[in-house]
Amino acid sequence: MEQVVSIQQAVKDYGPKVIGPVDLAVEKGEIVGFLGPNGSGKSTTIRMLLGLIRPTSGVVRLMQLDPLEQHVKALENVGYSPELPNLQSFLSPKELLRLTARELGLQWKGADPQLAALLEKVGLAQYGDYKIAKLSKGMVQRLSVAQSMVGSPKVLILDEPMIGIDPAGVVQFRSIFREFVKEGGTIIMSSHILSEVESLCTSLAVIHSGKMVFRGGIDGFIRQTLSSRSILVELDPPAADPSLVQRVSSVSGVRRVSPAPEGLLVEAEKDSDPRAEIAKIVVTSGGSLMGLRYSRSELDEAYIAAIRGTAQ
Amino acid sequence: MRPSRVLTFAEYEARRAVARKKVLALVALTILIGVAPYYLLDAVHDTSLITPPLRPYMWVVGVFLPQAFFVQFTALLIAAGSMSEEYEQGTAEILLSKPVSRDEYFFGKYLGGYALLVVIMALDATLSLTSATFVFGAQAQLGVLPGILLTQCLAATVFYSVAFMFGELMRRSSLSYIVSASVFLTSEIIGGILNFLYALTGSGIYRSVNLYLPTSPVDSLPLLLAEPKFPSTVSTIFRLGLATPVEPSVLASGLLVAAYAVTAVLIALAYFSRMDVSKRVT
Repeated sequence: MEQVVSIQQAVKDYGPKVIGPVDLAVEKGEIVGFLGPNGSGKSTTIRMLLGLIRPTSGVVRLMQLDPLEQHVKALENVGYSPELPNLQSFLSPKELLRLTARELGLQWKGADPQLAALLEKVGLAQYGDYKIAKLSKGMVQRLSVAQSMVGSPKVLILDEPMIGIDPAGVVQFRSIFREFVKEGGTIIMSSHILSEVESLCTSLAVIHSGKMVFRGGIDGFIRQTLSSRSILVELDPPAADPSLVQRVSSVSGVRRVSPAPEGLLVEAEKDSDPRAEIAKIVVTSGGSLMGLRYSRSELDEAYIAAIRGTAQ
Repeated sequence: MRPSRVLTFAEYEARRAVARKKVLALVALTILIGVAPYYLLDAVHDTSLITPPLRPYMWVVGVFLPQAFFVQFTALLIAAGSMSEEYEQGTAEILLSKPVSRDEYFFGKYLGGYALLVVIMALDATLSLTSATFVFGAQAQLGVLPGILLTQCLAATVFYSVAFMFGELMRRSSLSYIVSASVFLTSEIIGGILNFLYALTGSGIYRSVNLYLPTSPVDSLPLLLAEPKFPSTVSTIFRLGLATPVEPSVLASGLLVAAYAVTAVLIALAYFSRMDVSKRVT
């Protein structure tokens, strides 16, 4: 697989605070969720990748190039949307995208149809001629993502792209990002919205206090961090009879079964997957199984556990 | 360095500077200072103040009057915010996260702001000439005007570059404007005192020290070029800008202008090339 990002033992010494050593490798086609509490080093890592700040030591490579020494070449196919973007308020969205196109060396008159399509894509078509100063926070966020996509980059680096976006916009962005990856792109996305990360990302990089504490799949992160897993069994009607609770409790790997508003909440050993067995029991007992899945809050719990664990 | 990218940033910078209300206000004031005297004299019908031999040369008033202070302050204001405001507003990181080199960004911004300053000076000269013609009739010796404008533009690079440098070093627009304006005013005041002491004592030491103040070549360069081209009666008009040529020649003045401007630009460039692009500075 082609490696688009490689960070080895990168350290940024700010004096009172040191970020690193950070190690991170990202392959082409991944959507990496970059997680970490405020001030943990996410933005510093991203800014080192973009050649905006110089690492004190270590090696940083973007598209296999040094983003500081070979900045122009390394950033040729990379789009970036910063956290809480401050865009040029005196420009209009169209003008900002034209400026970006010119920075990329695209003939702006020729690039106009692509820029119009981008504005349409992020839902800003009718605001193209407004001054950015007049746009809402969510619109500015949308515009920031649009500017990161000018010139059809191969890698998107997005710092909190969903902040301030309304639910319809979130769905729209999710689809845009999935389509981008489907077409061969790679995304590195920092976020505090874990449900968003869970639904969109193919892998995680978790940083805390300047150190990378996890890199791998979401499932692996949950298994590594949590001592048990929560399975939600949705029933119709939700109230389960005691014999069903007893039968589910006897399944191998199940630690505890408790009632939940939707049906049952099953706590299972982290290395076992009793979902098939539980489903079979519910169906054979004559119940209506409406759903069976790992609890949505697992990533949140794993993340908090990981952060607490590192802090300890 | 790719000229197309430098041009992109130059256009962007000129546009950005024009979008700032304080720059627009100072530009308006600069032009007003250059143009208002004609209409004031016309309004009070006191053209007897201006003797007939001086009337064909009255365009010089509007061209030189704003040069000493207002053009310099406009230069300081445009340049001090050029780099620093991008850090303050957090826009530098978006611009520099694209495949553009820092040199392209730096020189584009430098040239864009400077081009705007040149346009302001040209506009002031044009309006002065038009107003002088309107109030005092046909104007003479206009062949010198392009040369004067050119030397004024060159002279303006000194404090434009100094403010640009402080903007990058401090990354705070207000602070860099205050510091560069202080350098300018201090130099003007010390220069004035040294001139006065020289006139009083005739001691060469005062003149020698004055030679190397940054305001000296800025004031001297256009005057040294212009004064010999006009009748001696016109020299009173040149003094309206409160400036006195100190350097012995146009070449010496030009070299000092270049030395100050280039040094400031190189310091700023060296700093910008090595330092991190800071996040939004509040």
